[in-house]
Amino acid sequence: MSENVNPQPPRRRSAFATRGFTRRRFLGLAGGAVAVAGGVSWAGKVLVPEPVAYAASGDPDLYLAGTDGWIHLPETPAIPPYHPDVLAPAPFTTYIFGFRNVTGMTALQKVGQKNKAQHSAPLFWVKQFDPAHPVDFKVQLTNLGLQGRPDLFDAHTLHWHGFRNVIPFFDGEPTGSVAVPSGRDFTYVYRPRDPGTYMYHCHVEDVEHVHMGMTGLVFVRPLQDGNTSLYRSGTYLYNDGDGSTGFDREFSMFLSEVWAEAHWADAHIQLPEWSDYHADFSLLNGRVYPDTIAPNGSVDPFHPVRDPNGDLIPPTGRPDLQYQPLSSLVTCNAGDRVALRFANLGFREQAMTLSGIRMRVLGRDATPMRGRDGTDTSYETETLDIGPGESYDVIFEAPDHQGPGFDTYLLYNRNYTRSNNLAPGSFGGQATEVRVYAANTVQQQQYPNDWGI
Amino acid sequence: MLAVTLLSLLGATLTGAAQATATPPPAVGIVCTTGAGGVSASPIFNLTTHTGYISLPDGNTTFMWGFSNGADDFQHPGPVLCVNEGDTVTVILHNTLPDATSVVFPGQENVLADGVPSQPEVSGATMTSLAGTAAAAGGSATYTFTATRPGTFLYESGTNPEKQVRMGLFGALIVRPTLGANHAYDDPTSRFTPNEEFMVLLSEIDPYQHQAVENGATFNMNTYHPRYWLINGRGFPDSIADNGAAWLPNQPYGSLASVSPFGGAAHPYPGLARYLNVGTEDYPFHPHGNNGLVIGRDGRPLTGSGGQDLSMEKFAINIGPGQTWDVLFKWFDAEGYNPTTNPVPVTVPSLANEVIGVFYSGSPYLGSRETLPPGTQSKNQCGEYYIISHNHALFQITSWGTNMTGPITYMRINPPTPNSCG
Repeated sequence: MSENVNPQPPRRRSAFATRGFTRRRFLGLAGGAVAVAGGVSWAGKVLVPEPVAYAASGDPDLYLAGTDGWIHLPETPAIPPYHPDVLAPAPFTTYIFGFRNVTGMTALQKVGQKNKAQHSAPLFWVKQFDPAHPVDFKVQLTNLGLQGRPDLFDAHTLHWHGFRNVIPFFDGEPTGSVAVPSGRDFTYVYRPRDPGTYMYHCHVEDVEHVHMGMTGLVFVRPLQDGNTSLYRSGTYLYNDGDGSTGFDREFSMFLSEVWAEAHWADAHIQLPEWSDYHADFSLLNGRVYPDTIAPNGSVDPFHPVRDPNGDLIPPTGRPDLQYQPLSSLVTCNAGDRVALRFANLGFREQAMTLSGIRMRVLGRDATPMRGRDGTDTSYETETLDIGPGESYDVIFEAPDHQGPGFDTYLLYNRNYTRSNNLAPGSFGGQATEVRVYAANTVQQQQYPNDWGI
Repeated sequence: MLAVTLLSLLGATLTGAAQATATPPPAVGIVCTTGAGGVSASPIFNLTTHTGYISLPDGNTTFMWGFSNGADDFQHPGPVLCVNEGDTVTVILHNTLPDATSVVFPGQENVLADGVPSQPEVSGATMTSLAGTAAAAGGSATYTFTATRPGTFLYESGTNPEKQVRMGLFGALIVRPTLGANHAYDDPTSRFTPNEEFMVLLSEIDPYQHQAVENGATFNMNTYHPRYWLINGRGFPDSIADNGAAWLPNQPYGSLASVSPFGGAAHPYPGLARYLNVGTEDYPFHPHGNNGLVIGRDGRPLTGSGGQDLSMEKFAINIGPGQTWDVLFKWFDAEGYNPTTNPVPVTVPSLANEVIGVFYSGSPYLGSRETLPPGTQSKNQCGEYYIISHNHALFQITSWGTNMTGPITYMRINPPTPNSCG
């Protein structure tokens, strides 16, 4: 962590460091890596221990760590020299920045997660803030540093994308507030008043940190949950008042992308030219098809399952997916109402198609499909166009079971270059399967994306 | 006969334009160009095409074409034409470019070009323009239409638009409703706070094509590849400089939104952001800290045939090419945090343990400032907040290698008065 005391200007901008506060210099500051100007009186950054421990605020509900790591994407066809990355430790291929859930870990376990980031970031959810029973939701963030890039001293933040009427202090946009340097902590406090599907990401140099994988999905459950008089399950997307958003099963579908050259560049101390951006891999919950239908690792952030060192336990039979724990396989019984929560933090618009089943769009950007006068603006579609930074909540009703076994429907990106792993003729990328079983076959979910079989 | 009329109109309006530019523009917000000459409800605009240069966040300059008002110098983008619903609008185009050019007004109906319905021009089997043209190097053309519907519209070249619009021949047209300039539409629920009205005009540039045009070579769509993305003709941080900033002589429009917290008798109405996309693909614009309420698109209110409210609240404003979106927005601290009566429920870390943003006051609280560690550069003035808005196709918030630039702007939240902001 000694890199934190280095008073040098932000990396990549040294050519402008000696010019004083020029316009170019200002750009570097606005980039957010370091907000210390090159003032001549500056004698180095002083890191002061907190006089009051975080015990003053109670334990956080969730404790996230920002660091780097490695994930696995299909090795073939290769994209020389970028993919697979020659620096990748087996069985991995691709360098990432990312988050990990370190809630409840010992200090030793926590620091042991450096270079063990996951993608997508840990899924989490919160109950809507209830003014009658006010409870804060606190997420503590620590920065474990980047083992693969000890020359960097990037800060991290947590930006809850779409959170309404938040103060900059808790927004995680580093230029208007503060960011967390390596070895330090910050606690974000949320009172989520609006149910729906959101996303979160690090906002420091977010062109890079978002693309490198510090992105995930978060959603807010409505206060209406538990009311079984409107829908049998008592679980809803929104406070609809009429059960129209009730569902039996729920699956998060987080969309992201990997441009192999950019990931390789970060591992090899190089810079990509971002205007050349393209997605080599389009990911669903951090994986590409057919890995998307491999089993879940530990998904529930409030009941994490880890090895004795605090590390993630790979899904059964898939050591290569150790740091991509979230499955996208949709399992349901005939007649179930199934909620899909989509959020896109890729840089391109996606066109998610559910072949053969109509989806009803009931929410968008954490807002129910209702006009100000209550007009129902929900609609049915087979293809959902999702722009970068948008979220959609849909529900479909699982059709009758044909059998034998389960019936398979495909959920895939209709922009076929995004549902392909670059291999000719093969399905891949942003695609998964919906499997419809005979009634009463699939068990109730213990957590979102739980298969129940 | 027509030519004589036009010449006399031009003479009158050029004089008017010169007088109008003597008034300094407001520092933030939309700078309206209103019709000069003509009579009430019949505004006349003179748009002159020019070539010029704009400054980009990586230090480059690029060659552009543009529309200017009357005898004004080159500017980018074109002037914001503000008219009222029902006005008979005349736009006289004076072309100084080496190519023929024209103006189309998407969303307007029954547009006349030189007195006849504006139609595509054809040469043999080839369509050469979407609208009647002003000849190269000195030609002119006159367009008239009745602004029947309030809302936000683009105007842009209709001649080789794949080249000429990319080169910069575009601007915004705002039609104020009969209900008043503090409404977006003829609907009481579209009322906004007049000094919190902002424009978000998004565009893109491929510098190689512009260089080719400057050198008399071909603008080649087959090799078209944008490297810059702009907001109101500027990239961040120029985007948050004042309107008319002296160091951006040809890029007059800033995009900083300066607002007060919403609520109470002093501030009962939201602000209005008018988004326009003149680029080649969807731009997903993301305002932090507050959702926008989309009340209109393409100059049409989001209202059903029976008056149903079809507006939608969004945190990502995903604007398609050629679209305009009218979005009401407001910001307030949902928790009402206050350093003495309602402090943030968390231990505030020592500033020495945080990386301090250049717009940060040192305090979580609006209107408060804390002493920053020595050597910290701060642009914070009086404890105001800065909340970012940016394109979320994040590779587009770069400028040919300079990251965290391009279509980024901020919403400045001013502390309640009295404050020390001056």
